[in-house]
Amino acid sequence: MRYIFTRLGFYFLAFLFAVTINFFLPRMMPGDPISSFLGRLAQSGGQITPETIAALEALYGYSTSVPLWQQFIGYLQSIMVGEWGVSTRFFQPVIEVLGRGTQWTLLLVGGYLLISYTLTTFLGIYVAWKRGTWADSLITVGSVVISSIPAVVMALLLYFAFASNLGWFPTGYAYDPALDPAYTWEFVSSVLYHLALPMIAMVLLGMGNVMGMRSNMINQLGEDFIVMGWAKGVRDRKVMFSYGARNAILPMITSFAMSVGAIFGGSLIIEIIFNYPGLGQVMFQAMLARDYPLIQGYLLMMTIMVLSANFIADMLLFALDPRLRTALD
Amino acid sequence: MKFLKSLKAMFLSNPKASVGASMVLIIFVLCFGAPLFTDYEPNARIARPHQAPSADHIVGTTRMGRDVLSQTLYGGRTSIMVGFVAGGFVMLMAMVVGISAGYFGGWVDNILSFFTNMVMVIPSLPLMLVLAAFLDQVSPFVIAVIIGATSWPWGARVIRAQTLSIRNRDFIHAAEVMGERKRRMLFFEVMPNMMSILASCLIGTIIYAIMTEATLGFIGLGDPLSVTWGVMLYNAQQTSAIRIGAWWEILAPSVMLASLAIGLALINFSIDEVSNPKLRAQRIMAKFRREQKVEAKKKAAAIRNAGSEPMEAKA
Amino acid sequence: MSDLVQVNNLCVDYITFGGRVRAVDDVSFSIKKGEILGLAGESGCGKSTIAFALMRLHRPPALISEGEILFDGKDILDFSDEELRKFRWADTSMVFQSAMSCLNPVKTIESQFYDIFEAHNVVSTKEEGAERAKELLQIVDIPPERLYDYPHQFSGGMRQRVVIAMALALKPKLLIMDEPTTALDVVVQREILQKVYELKEEFGFSVLFITHDLSLMVEFCDRIGIMYSGKLVEVAPSKEILGKPQHPYSFGLGNSFPTLHGELQEMIGIPGSPLDLNHVPDGCRFAERCFNASEQCRTDEPQLRNDEARGWVACHHPLAIDFRELQDAPCSELN
Repeated sequence: MRYIFTRLGFYFLAFLFAVTINFFLPRMMPGDPISSFLGRLAQSGGQITPETIAALEALYGYSTSVPLWQQFIGYLQSIMVGEWGVSTRFFQPVIEVLGRGTQWTLLLVGGYLLISYTLTTFLGIYVAWKRGTWADSLITVGSVVISSIPAVVMALLLYFAFASNLGWFPTGYAYDPALDPAYTWEFVSSVLYHLALPMIAMVLLGMGNVMGMRSNMINQLGEDFIVMGWAKGVRDRKVMFSYGARNAILPMITSFAMSVGAIFGGSLIIEIIFNYPGLGQVMFQAMLARDYPLIQGYLLMMTIMVLSANFIADMLLFALDPRLRTALD
Repeated sequence: MKFLKSLKAMFLSNPKASVGASMVLIIFVLCFGAPLFTDYEPNARIARPHQAPSADHIVGTTRMGRDVLSQTLYGGRTSIMVGFVAGGFVMLMAMVVGISAGYFGGWVDNILSFFTNMVMVIPSLPLMLVLAAFLDQVSPFVIAVIIGATSWPWGARVIRAQTLSIRNRDFIHAAEVMGERKRRMLFFEVMPNMMSILASCLIGTIIYAIMTEATLGFIGLGDPLSVTWGVMLYNAQQTSAIRIGAWWEILAPSVMLASLAIGLALINFSIDEVSNPKLRAQRIMAKFRREQKVEAKKKAAAIRNAGSEPMEAKA
Repeated sequence: MSDLVQVNNLCVDYITFGGRVRAVDDVSFSIKKGEILGLAGESGCGKSTIAFALMRLHRPPALISEGEILFDGKDILDFSDEELRKFRWADTSMVFQSAMSCLNPVKTIESQFYDIFEAHNVVSTKEEGAERAKELLQIVDIPPERLYDYPHQFSGGMRQRVVIAMALALKPKLLIMDEPTTALDVVVQREILQKVYELKEEFGFSVLFITHDLSLMVEFCDRIGIMYSGKLVEVAPSKEILGKPQHPYSFGLGNSFPTLHGELQEMIGIPGSPLDLNHVPDGCRFAERCFNASEQCRTDEPQLRNDEARGWVACHHPLAIDFRELQDAPCSELN
């Protein structure tokens, strides 16, 4: 139990760290943050309305009469109760705008994690088992090559070839706009159809995990308990999964936790290029309009999602590694 | 230098390494020798907009009537420079933090590791976007610095782990007992044993930095007046190159980006194969399987002979 | 007593980029039913390779290139994969060198026992497996309720006893022990060997015991084979190997260990270092380090032969000292 609380405490501090960055960044810019924002906003052609000014002031709690630490406390309070300011691009509370995008991003990233990790784990186990064969060379070199293609390039090429040119896949949206959202086969299949190509791009980009699983598995296959498994007469398939892979996935979970930020980063590019209405798309529009409250809200939202993913990874490790679990007794 | 020798041996004996190195080399020659391959200025309007590839313009022209080839080659210089500057910056941070944490241990390690883990769980791309958004006008150099400032934790963690494992080896303890000074030991005992991991870490961060530059440029955070592969993709996207079928405008920088990243990744893959003893041992497997087949055949032949002998004896 | 295992002309090669390296070269020996045979030698002499080869557990890039391993008259090198799988553990089981790492860290002891029973179809339910596992744990003096613990919850000595209990699970005819006690302290070492000896008396299996600790081996084994650089150089009853060594290497090995009983003696090591298997000389492999080598030793490789008077020894000039007769003489007179 202590392990869980230590982790939770760490995540809370990490979240505070992100909030602190958000709080101090505008104050580190030269001049009064609000007027400098307004200046930039005017420069980039944004509209300045009284609401904008009010939103900015509400968000930053900016005031020359209140000491900095009180401003910070006030900012923290409003973040904790979900008052993340008002978007200057959409004229809606930041949290609502982000909420709309979050569902699609979670669908994309969640689906990706499921498909990619299943696929690459099994491929990694297979090539480690068959190491030294032509299938091993082909799959390992292939996955290195494919996964090192930059996300922008991969997405643009897939989009150009299969969506724009061949027309096999839709060129945007999360579902056919003519349909009403409902749990009908028609709607669900439309969602899946629109999800397919962005998903393929993400899975291809994630093929590098094959290498990680392969080397974990090779490391495990050199362990004595694997040899003992064979010595016991345990069937190959069981040695492979229950002795080898069962141990090899543990470092994979740690590496998942380390790379989850990059995965969300990758989804940002994918969503922009495939016009998929997730958080990345929201962020792109916020960037184009220099909608600072929304940009900052995006960082917080991403931090929350990455921290949650890390916590899930911790729980998984906790459940799968008895050394971690029983150390607490 | 043992390290340089093994590096040379690696490139000569490993086809993956030599293919990767040739790809990187070709791109370097093309970009840094750009005036040899194209007569056009990257930012000059020299033709009608969106010309398809022809003898005059091998990969066509942009919406603004600029030559795509010369933009790609000259732009590559900036992209590569950003990659190396950012890669160098990340390495520096990662080495300072990672080696100090791993070597000195104790409270230094506790504080540095805590800080490293903290920065690591803050998603780096959104953080970079926020930083870039506030700085507004970002030159390629600023982009390199932003990438460097947000992306070092991963390398720091790898280097820390490696330092720890080297630090606990016998020869370091021996040197310590013999009274070598700590700073001297860091540079003469610990560092040489980390060359391969530092090299693979550096290449990894360069790949990451080049990709990230392209990403930031593509999102529109780059200085629109500079020419980089990322900015080229941004301009192509903004002028609807895809919709009107100007594939050359997308393809040229894409091919360069992908080839450079793949080339560097292949080199990195080979370094891993050489330096990780367990993976290195696996390279013998292909040879082992061949020999195993030879033995199996020999055995089968022996059994056939043994089977036929009694028949002859009977006869 | 009849032979349980008969190894004839066994050769094991390691595949390297520079070509094959022969780690075990033309080794023949036998193990009788109920006998404890010891294999001794410096590290890297091939004794563990032989142990693994007896179950065909030798890992790539090791390859058995020649010879036969007859177990109850059947050559296990001819076994199909499925025959081999059934042979393993049921007929021959093994206690590994590293009790610390030979148990799967993420599975309970119970499920690792069950894997054995399941693989050989000896139990029909999990409960039956647990019942049998508990009996086995009791044999090695481990409380049966520890069955549901994970390996990391046991101490080193306990883990080794768990492994021994597992090794006995299917009542094998041969138990291979590959340096089973090197990681343990001396007291635990003795306890464990004592236990194995009692179990052997009770169940009547044979043991192949591998170690580099000759004094331990002399007490525990019936016969001892001495290996040097992939060759078996001498095989003799254990009482004779220290008392009447015939091969100069056995003599040197015997002098490299302090005896547990008897008075303090000067320890004499063997000069030089083990042979580099990449460069095997023409003559006797030990000639370089041998105090007794002649010209013949450098050109002509001696073979392991059974001499009526001497027993099995591979040497052109076997020694003829008997320590047992000289027991009262001062040590310096021996040389």
